[in-house]
Amino acid sequence: MLGEFEYLLITAAAGLSDDAYGAAIREAIETHTGEKCSIGAIYTTIDRLETKGLLKTWMGEATAQRGGRAKRMVRVTPKGVQAASDFYNVVTSVSRGVAWATKRAGSTT
Amino acid sequence: MTMGWALVEYFARVLPPEVREPVLGDMLEADESAWRALRGLFGLVVLRQTEDWRSWRPWLAGFGVALPSSFMLMGVSLSVSWSYMRLLCPDMLAQASLTKPSAMVVLLWQALLLIGWSWTGGFVVGSVSKRTLWASTVLCYAPCIVCLSQFHAESMSRLCLFLFLLPAVWGAHRGFQISRMKFTSALLIAVALTVMIVPTWSSARIQTLSPQNILMNWALSIPAWYLVFTAWKRRHEPQVEHAA
Repeated sequence: MLGEFEYLLITAAAGLSDDAYGAAIREAIETHTGEKCSIGAIYTTIDRLETKGLLKTWMGEATAQRGGRAKRMVRVTPKGVQAASDFYNVVTSVSRGVAWATKRAGSTT
Repeated sequence: MTMGWALVEYFARVLPPEVREPVLGDMLEADESAWRALRGLFGLVVLRQTEDWRSWRPWLAGFGVALPSSFMLMGVSLSVSWSYMRLLCPDMLAQASLTKPSAMVVLLWQALLLIGWSWTGGFVVGSVSKRTLWASTVLCYAPCIVCLSQFHAESMSRLCLFLFLLPAVWGAHRGFQISRMKFTSALLIAVALTVMIVPTWSSARIQTLSPQNILMNWALSIPAWYLVFTAWKRRHEPQVEHAA
């Protein structure tokens, strides 16, 4: 099963779709969690997920804003989608009936 | 470019280009300060190493091959040097009841084994865990430094201990470059090395070996058979992928 940070990264990459690369994923995670995220955590997790076959990466375009340096583009593989979906199902299933989940469900309906 | 960013760029050289480029680009895009970038890079290097050491690969390369092979190959290097000296000294030849041609065969035999064992050991170290090659190198050289300080023989140079280093470095370089050998090449080398160690323990004319030495010979041949195994595995990998 995925780790929580692995899930966050895959979900952020999936949300960014064709614009998913290191800096964008980092920004998305920081925005949603409200916490600082180190570049080391991003890249070691990307490496690990790629080794597991859950992500595919390739070198993208270089821009002037990046000092002419290439981006490392990220795409979630079907295996990655399945793993994230399994994680999500486990979290929602285990959360059913607990106070904070009930409160949230109540507030959204 | 500020002094701080020059330092960041310099430190980033420890990372391979395919990691360094996007990481530095991301830092520039996020408009990070040089200090924060340096801290981020340091964190990345530490995390990458920690991640690597969670696998069995660096342990096999460093503690399973580099460290023990270094000790054993120093012994083999010494044997080769001893055989060479014996060839040059008629008294020693007579003592060993060897003729000059047979002593030359022994020397050639041992030298080929030394090259084969060192090269295959180096190849395994270079290919199994590329990102921790620095640690394997330290584990290979540490026994060399210890033995260098302990070894005292008037008739022999201390450098005799390190005859294995050149083929080992060559093997590690090749392993780092190509990762896996072709099955037929690996099999050929492994069979040749195994066949070559048989006379060393079956014939007293070649060398009189203790059970420990026989064990050592087989242990030194393990990397060659490991290469055969990985090449064989690779040969079957595409079929598995297609089947899946």
